[in-house]
Amino acid sequence: MNHRLLFAFTGFLSLAGCDERKEITVSETREKTSRDVDPKLFASSDERFRNAKPSPVLADTPHGWLALPASQFRLLNYRFGDSGQGEVWVTLASGTVLDNVNRWRGQFSVAPLDQAGLEKLRSVPLVGTQGVWVEAEGEYASGMGAPNKPAFGLAGIIADVDGKILTVKMVGPKAEVLAAAPTLEAYAKTLRMAE
Amino acid sequence: MDIPETSAPPRAGKSLPGQIFAILSGFGLATITLLLLGVLTWLATLEQIDKGLYPTLNKYFHWQSPFLIPEITINGKWVPLPPLPGGYYVSALLLLNLILGGVIRIRKGWKHVGNLISHFGIIFMLVAGGVAHHFSERGNMAVGVGDSSNTAEDYFEYVVEVAEIHDGKPGKIHVIRGDDFHDLTDDRLRTIRLPDIPFDLQITGYLRNSQPVGITERAPDRGQYVADGYYLMEKPDEINAEANTAGCYVRILHRDGTKSDPFILAGASFHPFTVRHDDRVFTIDMRKRLWPMPFTVKLDEFTADFHPGTSRPAKFISKITRMENGSEAKHTIQMNEPMRYEGLTFFQASYGPPGAGPGDKMYSVFEIVKNPADHWPEYSLYIVAFGMLVTFLTKLSVFLFASIRKKNHV
Repeated sequence: MNHRLLFAFTGFLSLAGCDERKEITVSETREKTSRDVDPKLFASSDERFRNAKPSPVLADTPHGWLALPASQFRLLNYRFGDSGQGEVWVTLASGTVLDNVNRWRGQFSVAPLDQAGLEKLRSVPLVGTQGVWVEAEGEYASGMGAPNKPAFGLAGIIADVDGKILTVKMVGPKAEVLAAAPTLEAYAKTLRMAE
Repeated sequence: MDIPETSAPPRAGKSLPGQIFAILSGFGLATITLLLLGVLTWLATLEQIDKGLYPTLNKYFHWQSPFLIPEITINGKWVPLPPLPGGYYVSALLLLNLILGGVIRIRKGWKHVGNLISHFGIIFMLVAGGVAHHFSERGNMAVGVGDSSNTAEDYFEYVVEVAEIHDGKPGKIHVIRGDDFHDLTDDRLRTIRLPDIPFDLQITGYLRNSQPVGITERAPDRGQYVADGYYLMEKPDEINAEANTAGCYVRILHRDGTKSDPFILAGASFHPFTVRHDDRVFTIDMRKRLWPMPFTVKLDEFTADFHPGTSRPAKFISKITRMENGSEAKHTIQMNEPMRYEGLTFFQASYGPPGAGPGDKMYSVFEIVKNPADHWPEYSLYIVAFGMLVTFLTKLSVFLFASIRKKNHV
């Protein structure tokens, strides 16, 4: 056979083999497992993508932040910054203000404060009361066995709101946190408890 | 494994097959492949800092990566490096080299038995790597204290699941695997025929990491299709690839030829999409592939000890009950002390919730590995060590006999 013809034929076969699968038939199944909870049927897109349960706190999303779905532990949840690693979230925590300040500081290997140290922290308004402004920087250990993140920064507010500990926490690359800290403080002023 | 142990290479002028055999079985190739593996490992270690472990491992060592271009940055500056062969193929070449040079071509005889054994050990180790690469499965299982689970979840593979609902509960769940739609980026689309379901699906616009965004939150910037007020916004890959949340657009193709409007399926959704077909109800969802276990794990107790004043874990320990066919067995799983059972290995991987405060309910996360070659690297090391021991003892005995003979001669 002529070599050129042979190559042309082989090339045609190769191209045919690379053709995208336009249609396939699927028959794989699995049984129900412990992970399969009874589904919420006919959920709207808001319910599917925002889990639109009434949140106990509300706030105005600052320009440039991306609002993400709330989760079990994040009542409000955002991303910010160019790196894609900047996070802000609002939670209701247990313990005391001092417990939570020291938990945050511990995540950056910063020595814990005592009551006197706590009282020296800057006071900022949060949901009709006064909270403490917390900052830290260094290697961030989120505390769930994930790899540590070097050169990270923390800015946030912790307040005792009617016996509940409300926290607003910003974590991300140090420079991005530093630049966004004023936005965070302005954001905290918009936080309000839902009716 | 030293030079005098092999026969002399074929002389120049040998036949072409002989020359090829000489190259493939030679020390030169062994040296190059070992150096390349060292370089690849070093570069992958550097690159994974910025690119994440999973994509970097795939790039450097996956069988689908015959060549790669290292992307190393130092102080933010890109370091130009030449293309390199993929680690999988370098390992395969080393395996071939060891078989040809270290087993076939090596000098035979009782003096060389140790070397031969060691070479078999290294071959066994390389084969173990290949088996693990092609046949192992990995997933994770998160269990809260007091809760039970019989299911692991794949780290990376998003699937589409279709289930018929009876009395509010899912029945048999039909699974469309990731390989069937992960290539459907941009406008590429595929029809998925589901013979046991009264409709088919058409999938398109797959994004490996994406987020459903409401048009009131952020306007579409690339002309994305908007379905019920939401569109899929592509996000850069996460450094930890398991944190990626996939998404795609789907249409329902009814058997009468009509089709629904496209809707979004997203890994980052809380509830499935629901379809009513005549008087039957189905859910369609995207989630990471679930992997049923042959037994149930109940987390009885979880403890985490931290280095003083920090959130760095010193150790974390899960006490579990393994339940199977009415029988129960207690186990403790902690770092470096996994539970091995029925071909599955449960490692203590992490815990949560992130940033848990005092008194919060904790959960433990196990990494589950099913690897047919689980213990093979360990066995191969024993074989290599035994081979080296035989070699050293052989050398020693030869030396001692020679010394005694020399002494007697004098």
